Amino acid sequence: MSDISVPAHGLRSRLHRSATDPVNILMLLLLAVLAYLVLWPFIQLTIETLTWSQGDRRLSRDAVPGEFTWFHWLQATTGPLSTKVLYGPLINTMITGIVSTILALLAGGVLAWCVVRSDMPGKRWLQPILTLPYILPSFAIALAWETVFRSPKVGGQPGLFEALLGTAPPEWLSYGAVPISITLAIHYFPFAYLLVAGALATIDSQMEEGALISGAGRLMILRRITFPVVAPAFAAAFILTFGKTIGQFALPFLLGAPTQYHTVATMVYANLALGLDSMAFVLAIVLIAMSLVAIWFSNRFVGKKSRRFETISGKGFRSRTIALGAWRWPVFTAVALFSFTVGILPLILLGVQSVMLIDGFYGLENLTSHFWFGTSNPEIAFGEPGVLHNDIILGATWNTLKLAFISAVIASVVGLVIAYISVRRADNPLARALDQISFIPFLFPTIAFGAMYLTLFAEPVGPIPALYGTFTLLVLISVVSRLPYSVKTGVTAVTQIGKELEEAAELAGAGWGMRFRRIIMPLASSGVLSGMMVSFVGVMRELSLIILLITPSTRVLMTVGFGYAEEGLSQLSNALVLIVAVLTIIGELILMWIGKGKMARLRDKQS
Amino acid sequence: MAKITVRNLTKRYGSATALNNVSLEIESGEFLVLLGPSGCGKTTLLRCLAGLETPDEGEIIIGDHVVFSSKNNTMVPPGKRNLGMVFQSYALWPHMSVRDNVKFGLDVLKTPKGVADERLDQVLDDVGLAHLDGRYPSELSGGQQQRVALARLLATQPPVFLMDEPLSNLDARLRMDMRVELKRFQSDTGATTVYVTHDQTEAMTMSTRVVVMKDGEIQQISPPDQLYRQPENTFVADFIGMPRINLVELDTVDGRGTCFSNGDIQIETGWAPGVQKVIIGARPEDITLSADLNTPGEDYQISAVLPNGPETIIQLMRGQTVMIVRVGHDTEFATNQTVKLSFKRQSLNIYDAQTGVLVTPPDIEVAKAG
Ligand SMILES: Nc1ncnc2c1ncn2[C@@H]1O[C@H](COP(=O)(O)OP(=O)(O)O)[C@@H](O)[C@H]1O
Ligand SMILES: [Mg+2]
Repeated sequence: MSDISVPAHGLRSRLHRSATDPVNILMLLLLAVLAYLVLWPFIQLTIETLTWSQGDRRLSRDAVPGEFTWFHWLQATTGPLSTKVLYGPLINTMITGIVSTILALLAGGVLAWCVVRSDMPGKRWLQPILTLPYILPSFAIALAWETVFRSPKVGGQPGLFEALLGTAPPEWLSYGAVPISITLAIHYFPFAYLLVAGALATIDSQMEEGALISGAGRLMILRRITFPVVAPAFAAAFILTFGKTIGQFALPFLLGAPTQYHTVATMVYANLALGLDSMAFVLAIVLIAMSLVAIWFSNRFVGKKSRRFETISGKGFRSRTIALGAWRWPVFTAVALFSFTVGILPLILLGVQSVMLIDGFYGLENLTSHFWFGTSNPEIAFGEPGVLHNDIILGATWNTLKLAFISAVIASVVGLVIAYISVRRADNPLARALDQISFIPFLFPTIAFGAMYLTLFAEPVGPIPALYGTFTLLVLISVVSRLPYSVKTGVTAVTQIGKELEEAAELAGAGWGMRFRRIIMPLASSGVLSGMMVSFVGVMRELSLIILLITPSTRVLMTVGFGYAEEGLSQLSNALVLIVAVLTIIGELILMWIGKGKMARLRDKQS
Repeated sequence: MAKITVRNLTKRYGSATALNNVSLEIESGEFLVLLGPSGCGKTTLLRCLAGLETPDEGEIIIGDHVVFSSKNNTMVPPGKRNLGMVFQSYALWPHMSVRDNVKFGLDVLKTPKGVADERLDQVLDDVGLAHLDGRYPSELSGGQQQRVALARLLATQPPVFLMDEPLSNLDARLRMDMRVELKRFQSDTGATTVYVTHDQTEAMTMSTRVVVMKDGEIQQISPPDQLYRQPENTFVADFIGMPRINLVELDTVDGRGTCFSNGDIQIETGWAPGVQKVIIGARPEDITLSADLNTPGEDYQISAVLPNGPETIIQLMRGQTVMIVRVGHDTEFATNQTVKLSFKRQSLNIYDAQTGVLVTPPDIEVAKAG
């Protein structure tokens, strides 16, 4: 008897232990919450597209609200407007996505090589400037482009191009595929640059030297060694960049909509504006599908290969820079010019334009500080006061900071907890599921994600109130959209904290909560803090994600700025974008400063 | 096949000098080991030989060719020096299969396909990788990766092998096996080999001669046995040997200059080194202990007995002076025991305390001259 009762007792106590283990409870809780916030919205969105809604009675006599139907899908794929609504935008999205990604990768790749592998001077100064276009709100560059290439043929005042050259720029240069691709490329090349630079930095230069000793020439080494080794990173960067470009909404909208050039993302917005919600949701799903296909491709063809190509590193790793010789200064000049043009010139253009009384008319007598400091004057800009006197804007600034701060803090803490669970309970399938769910928002193009939340919280469900139009909803979606990043930061941080540190505390009798607070949080803090700052800046400049969810009471700077741009009040929108730009740059500087502090502390520890 | 001559080589990185006026002759077919603590310039010297670094001054001659000369502004590129190198990190190309990694050098030489394939099969078979030739480097164990690096070196049959700590990424056992194999390949091919390591066992077991370096300068060039028996200065004496050599600084106590003491212990050298202060170097196995207190010598107290497999290390004290002695594993000495200690006088090395340089007794000088 006793033989049997002992294991039975052991099993029961084990069950009891795992049921009262705070980590397990937290894990189940988070899984449930994330399933509701990540998986369910997608299902809900899909259901919406397959159900008649009230509004559909306008479109079809057969509509029975609440009943199942293929109507929306059929309309999108085979209806009379399918070319305009789906296929055209799909092709446009592919074209601008692929072209801008190729451009971004070319620029990012060349720059990464110069910074990481060559002895180009001035790297320390150029590097932050090179990342500026990505730090700035995406449509800052679109606005700057408009400032130069705006064409009165489409409406509004002439741009700088016409003012200087006396002739209007061709329309293809003002609006449509060309400017969208170029500005997207400018916005995203730093992203590609960072990815490629990361890959280049892990190359053991002895791989090239080995070939050199064999007698291979520079070109042969580049072709047979360097390129193939970074190819997987390039391919991955391609997919990731492409995935980001197709979710971009504001930029293609500003440079495309005036001439009816639509991408899938702008079409989602346009359909929602027309009240064609279901059609917008169909397009959102198409957008998600594009992103999934891209990711699938990358896993299928790049993932396996790159894992196989993993560079093996051991003792004796060397990374040598390659001497440019006589090319040193010419290369520096080219890179410096490029960084100035894409990183600083747009800001100058926006700044100059925001002090022009009459848009498009460049002269000293036209200077005004009205759009910054002026009070309401019915003769200018429909009576909108300057940005620093504008209650809407002050409210939006407050909202922006509040949203960015709260979301960043929550995302970082939750991210750390999820990271902790997935690292420490790596053998638990539920922990792995949690890790994977938290990554899924990364796969949703941002505007599609916003569309999901539009449907999710429209009506109260059980104990959860209707959240549409509330600030809480903005926080929720911002937090969830940052989770893939904050979990990743957290995993890096937790992995570095040895298990023994915690076990020592456990032996001293500390419970899980205490261990997490007193051991994990402090040790992970520097990493998590910089992650928090990244999220703060990221949320602050986010537009596509929340544009569909904003109501007048929850306006943030980016949406107000976009609103002005949409109405053609370019001085005001430029001034606003500049404010956001300054805020994000301050954020980035703090981030760099934190990073330096971390380095200094590490050095102290080592010496 | 290829003799290597290095003359007055100096290499600076900014204000730091990695190699300082290094001169060296390496005989054809020799297995020369560069040994020294980390950062002493071993890798730099090897990379200068390979042509991966450009020295600031000096001359390098490989075979009949001056491959580097600061005077004539000669700098033959690495690919034209006709040598092979194994890197510490192996530097295998991760995107090429084992076979392609090995084949690369033959491709560069535009070896006809038939010949190349035959050679490849031969080399892969030699290093025991024939069955893995389709694998990628990341799918291999550390030892196998090491063999690929070796095969890559062997494929083109260069007359000079350069190896930079090729075994340092392997675990202790594998390292032993690979030592034997490396040695075998070297003697089979007869290639002049320059081998960098910071592991003195590796240096002692594999080399025909060892070059000990410190701070970018050569300290001693000797065959391994001589390096051990007759370190030319206190740095080399201290660096070579495990457990470490006993180095004790002593003062002359008599007019003849053959008897030295530090207050605790006294040593009779039997000949006059001709300096006031000396450092004597006594290897732990060159000291005899005796439990019989009637034997000649000084009394020491045993402070620790450390058995270590086939040997036992004994630590003794006399006053403040500490001695380490190596005895057999079957010793019966015990801690706190008092014993008689005597030096094997002919094995003692005597250094000038001021310069740290070995002072040789007259008879050896006579022997050398003869
Ligand atoms: N590329 C480099 N730049 C600056 N200093 C270097 C470089 N390579 C080596 N050194 C310096 O030269 C010295 C010798 O280095 P190395 O030859 O690698 O030593 P070892 O191989 O003996 O450990 C070290 O002090 C090292 O810091
Ligand atoms: Mg080295």
